[in-house]
Amino acid sequence: MEYWSWWKGALALGALSVIFVLMIGRMLGVSGSWANIINWRDDRKRQQTADAFQANAPVMQNALLAATLAEFGEQKTQQMLAAQGMSMPAQTAARAPALTGINWTAHLTFLAAMVLGGFLAAISSGHFELRLDLGATHTRLFGEEWREWLVLLASGTLVGFGTQMGGGCTSGHGLSGVPRLSPSSLIATAMFFASAVATSFFVEGLIK
Amino acid sequence: MKLTLAQQHLRYALVGILMGFALSHIGFTSYSELHKMFLFQDLRMLFTFAGAVMVAAIFFNFLMAGMPSSKKPMHPGIIPGSLIFGAGWAISGSCPSIALVQLGEGQLAAVFTAFGILFGAWLYRQVHRRFFRWDTGSCG
Repeated sequence: MEYWSWWKGALALGALSVIFVLMIGRMLGVSGSWANIINWRDDRKRQQTADAFQANAPVMQNALLAATLAEFGEQKTQQMLAAQGMSMPAQTAARAPALTGINWTAHLTFLAAMVLGGFLAAISSGHFELRLDLGATHTRLFGEEWREWLVLLASGTLVGFGTQMGGGCTSGHGLSGVPRLSPSSLIATAMFFASAVATSFFVEGLIK
Repeated sequence: MKLTLAQQHLRYALVGILMGFALSHIGFTSYSELHKMFLFQDLRMLFTFAGAVMVAAIFFNFLMAGMPSSKKPMHPGIIPGSLIFGAGWAISGSCPSIALVQLGEGQLAAVFTAFGILFGAWLYRQVHRRFFRWDTGSCG
């Protein structure tokens, strides 16, 4: 199997991070797509809240205004509104908050499309092959069949848990946050690379 | 950017296919290539990643206006979460997109990795609700 040279891969991967922003209008992040699928019920909740707001807009606005007045008092509320160039709202109809989010099913499409992309790459380069292991290196380190599959289930769980806890993965922190020098992404990327290197050396050491 | 549901599906599908295709050709889906990278025996994919960051950095910082906010706040989960992810990546050979691309290539064992990722993400949600209150600002 002939892989792309480093610069060709770099151009493709960097361009993808850019294309994603241009086409979707948000930063690329695959672990976020998994989270959206896991939390699919949240989409419905947001929709129900928006619908409820839409149906009872004046009531909602008055309730919000009353809560704001109770919290800050009339004078402070007027000051805050004036600072934003607004006046105290009367009993006008409020607009419902716009739902700008991506539907969770689109995230599902995203993940399914990656399966298809892998398939197309494998078919077109002639290395498509149905097999039940991850190759010679993986079986040498972690065994075959059920042993290997259990290792994959457990380490996959670490990937799912860790990326959600760390708020991102190789794409979200690495390809999106690091280019923008986001401090949390720089730390996260340094940490997961360091951890992966240490784990790899440790596993090799155990085998020898 | 406000996208209709059909646009969302179409655009995510297109980027997903391109991404799966590229990741496969780069070799990120091959456990042996990845293992060699983490042991510093073969630096090709390390350069690939670093180069991709440079390409994205040039576009994001100099060529594109009106970028979406990165929304990645600092929180106490970043360091432990990333350390856990790194260990999982080295053992499974998969970050969240790779298991799916591997499935497309016919590496069927990755179905266990994918279920693991799903379970791990679900598990974190339960743990987060119960014990932590910080904002992870998870992307997407």
